[in-house]
Amino acid sequence: MRTSRMPALIAGLLFAITAHAADTDHWQLPVAVKKLDNGLTVVVSEDHSSPTFGISTVYHVGMRLEPQNRTGFAHLFEHLMFEGTPNAPKGTFDRVVQGGGGVFNGSTRADYTNYIASAPISALEPLLWIEADRMKTLDFSDKNLDNQRNVVKEEIRVNVKNQPYGLFFWTDLDALAFDKWPNKHDGYGSFEDLDHASIADVKAFHDTFYQPANAVLGISGDVTPEQAFALAQKYFGAIPSRPLPARPDVSEPLNTKGRHLEQTDALAKAPAIAVGWKAPDRGSKDQMPMLVLAQLLVGDDASRFYQGLVKGREQLLQIQGGVNFALGSGTDYAGPTLFGLFAIYKPNAQPDQVLAALNEEIAKVAKDGVDDATLARVKTKMLSDWYGGMEDFLSRADTLAKLQTLWGDANVVNQVPGWINQVSANDVRRVAQTYLTDANRSVIIRRPVAAHGKDAGAKPAKH
Amino acid sequence: MITTTLKASLLAAALGIAMTAHAAEAPMPKELPPYGPERPLPVPQITQRTLPNGLTVWVIPRNGLPKVNVQLAVLGGTSYDDAKHPAQAELMAALFNEGTDTLSSKQIAEKLQAIGGDYGANAGRDSIGVSASALASHSDELLELVADTALHPSFPAKEVTLEKTNALQTLKVNQADPDWQSMRAFNHAVYGDHPYARDELTEASIQAVTPESLHQLHDQRMRPERALLVIVGKVDAGQVLKTVEQQFGSWKATGPAPANVTQVPTNTPAQKLLVARAGAVQTNIRFGQPTAPLRDPDFIPLTVANTVLGGGFSSRITQDIREDKGYSYSPYSTLDVRRNGGNTLAVVDVRNEVTGATLGELSKLYQGMGTEPASPEELMRAKRLIAGIYLLRNQIQSSLANTLARYWVSGMPPSFMTTYVTDTGKVTAEQVQAMGRKYFAPEKQSIILVGDPKAIDPQLKAIGSFTPYKP
Repeated sequence: MRTSRMPALIAGLLFAITAHAADTDHWQLPVAVKKLDNGLTVVVSEDHSSPTFGISTVYHVGMRLEPQNRTGFAHLFEHLMFEGTPNAPKGTFDRVVQGGGGVFNGSTRADYTNYIASAPISALEPLLWIEADRMKTLDFSDKNLDNQRNVVKEEIRVNVKNQPYGLFFWTDLDALAFDKWPNKHDGYGSFEDLDHASIADVKAFHDTFYQPANAVLGISGDVTPEQAFALAQKYFGAIPSRPLPARPDVSEPLNTKGRHLEQTDALAKAPAIAVGWKAPDRGSKDQMPMLVLAQLLVGDDASRFYQGLVKGREQLLQIQGGVNFALGSGTDYAGPTLFGLFAIYKPNAQPDQVLAALNEEIAKVAKDGVDDATLARVKTKMLSDWYGGMEDFLSRADTLAKLQTLWGDANVVNQVPGWINQVSANDVRRVAQTYLTDANRSVIIRRPVAAHGKDAGAKPAKH
Repeated sequence: MITTTLKASLLAAALGIAMTAHAAEAPMPKELPPYGPERPLPVPQITQRTLPNGLTVWVIPRNGLPKVNVQLAVLGGTSYDDAKHPAQAELMAALFNEGTDTLSSKQIAEKLQAIGGDYGANAGRDSIGVSASALASHSDELLELVADTALHPSFPAKEVTLEKTNALQTLKVNQADPDWQSMRAFNHAVYGDHPYARDELTEASIQAVTPESLHQLHDQRMRPERALLVIVGKVDAGQVLKTVEQQFGSWKATGPAPANVTQVPTNTPAQKLLVARAGAVQTNIRFGQPTAPLRDPDFIPLTVANTVLGGGFSSRITQDIREDKGYSYSPYSTLDVRRNGGNTLAVVDVRNEVTGATLGELSKLYQGMGTEPASPEELMRAKRLIAGIYLLRNQIQSSLANTLARYWVSGMPPSFMTTYVTDTGKVTAEQVQAMGRKYFAPEKQSIILVGDPKAIDPQLKAIGSFTPYKP
């Protein structure tokens, strides 16, 4: 063996060296923030290493705030943002971005909806113009609505109804773990609710939430903050803001009794399990320790769950998970979320054994915390991943805009490495004890229909 | 510089004359500001070295992100595998980080974690690849780890057994995935008996693997004179080259090299295959034909043609099938072109009821590539998207390393990454149309459907007879 176990003293010295090396890896991103008079916040990170830019317009509205009888509406609305305005008819957006050599997309999450693009810097002004144009108003037409309703249904068919496992570790696990409608409902939506969505709904949603005071514009790349602020003022400055409704209280306490659900899957060939524990609030003292714990347990091939259950006990084919899994990261949520897991288990394993094994690994941390060597490795990996997530201008602009939206401070981007570094073994132990309990745990076992045979007792899968 | 500066007025003029079928596009809004002046295309500055053992090394130092990316590519992927035991190179690559002569699987994982590392090894059709990254201050340790895992894997019996068990189970899991099902049938249809068809493990090939067979495969495939090592990141080129010499300098080939793979035949008759998936609520449509290899001059104009057809959001396929008809969420076409050939491919997943209608639309769109010239704006958009994607790839270290390696594997020089953009910038509408006739004639495309026969059979009568696909 090239590396053998070393006496503690030498090991300590080595870590000192490692920590020193990590200092040279320090990366401070420039962050400039300005709020326009109409309430639009603009965040800029200048970088001239590539003649391109990334842009992300983040609206502080997502699935949690969609109307109660309109599941899936925030996402359907996101689609309609690409379907034209009175000034720029359907198709114009695509032509402007692609004609500028750019790529674009949008996504809807629990707490935000983001519109992202990246292009050569020569396309910056046209992209800002067309982004501002759709913040003003949309082409509220039934034809567009019908068209995108069909497209969204196809999206749901691709990802849910025609797909093994059908994202049950997102929608079904949220439905089981949470009690308040904003947190527990299916954000992809029922076809029935999608069918009921009307142009009046679309207009009301745009009027309420799609306005400067509810948005952050992130720009990163080959532009100075002064230039970017001036352009933002030029294209967005005249858009009026409107009063915003008060945000509902969506908070939930940790669960006090474990929850368990069994499902069947008409498409899958192998059984799977999803587990979720309610996680610390964004910005709470437990959030960073929980992120470190999640990395320790399931972050990579060195993690406890991987080494303990994929290797070791050989119960799982694969496991993935994290805080705010499966649709986000540990820093881009603003309401209740889960430390979630999804695993496919093997024919030699039973779900009870898997759950017991997960608990054994958790118990080790809850009892003993984590040794210094492991903690240092885990933190180094998290630092590397945090920087890696900021590599391209698009991800950088998007991260900054999301942090400004959800944390109220884009500079969090430069604080997270220090916060991670401050987490102690005791912190990790504390959050393992507090959050990863059976009482706070929700579990779904999902088995192939075939595994049940034609047993009349087998319940059909939700989807 | 690849494109001239286009002002909005020029764009409007271009639109004015393009009133054929695909130019029903409205004039751009009057208030839309013009695109700014183009900047010169940045060209990666590559320090090149060939080691005495034949290993090609390219280093691209960067500033900013404190990370380093490493890409190793070795000619000898799944197309070199024995026909009876397809894709065994995949298992070999998957076991690189499961134990070396000096490190256990767990030690490798912990070492990687300690340097902020990521690691992946796999076998593509042409090459075996290792992609890895770490914090820049640990670049020496990363190179040591890549060398150790790729050159000295020990294939421990326990790890080989676990890998085989999991590969068999993964095969079972994959068989439930309609996209996986569709591509298996598609590769069979397009590549026939050519080894490119065999890029998936089978039960037989998994079961036949032993530690000894893996060592033999490793001796045959992993050869320095058939390998490229790319390093991109916050590193000093001189220092990195020293480390590379230390870690890779003693690498020697043992045993005979694998025989060359033949070129993909492009005259394979088109097939219509139906993969039955009872109860499916969608049909997964795959539509395509074989192409010439990447080094063929067709590749450049074909890339532009494919971008017009289905390569971006404003492409014909997306605008028609998604934005006009609402049949599909994410329809697109792509090119998968490699060292010895490739294929065109449209990917369109649609609800059962519109399966026949979508096939009719695809047929029309493909026909149109040969009969309706790309409008000036379509051509401009395609070229600018290609240039924009180049700029994005160039920005992301792993993407730059992968792209350079992919082109090298296909026999192209490092300059190809940039000349590809300037050359696509010169492609004319006539060339695009010629590519349309050569590669997008609807009757030459194989059609693969994964879906519920009961739900879609009546719609297929007008299209022709589909053969049930049974692997």
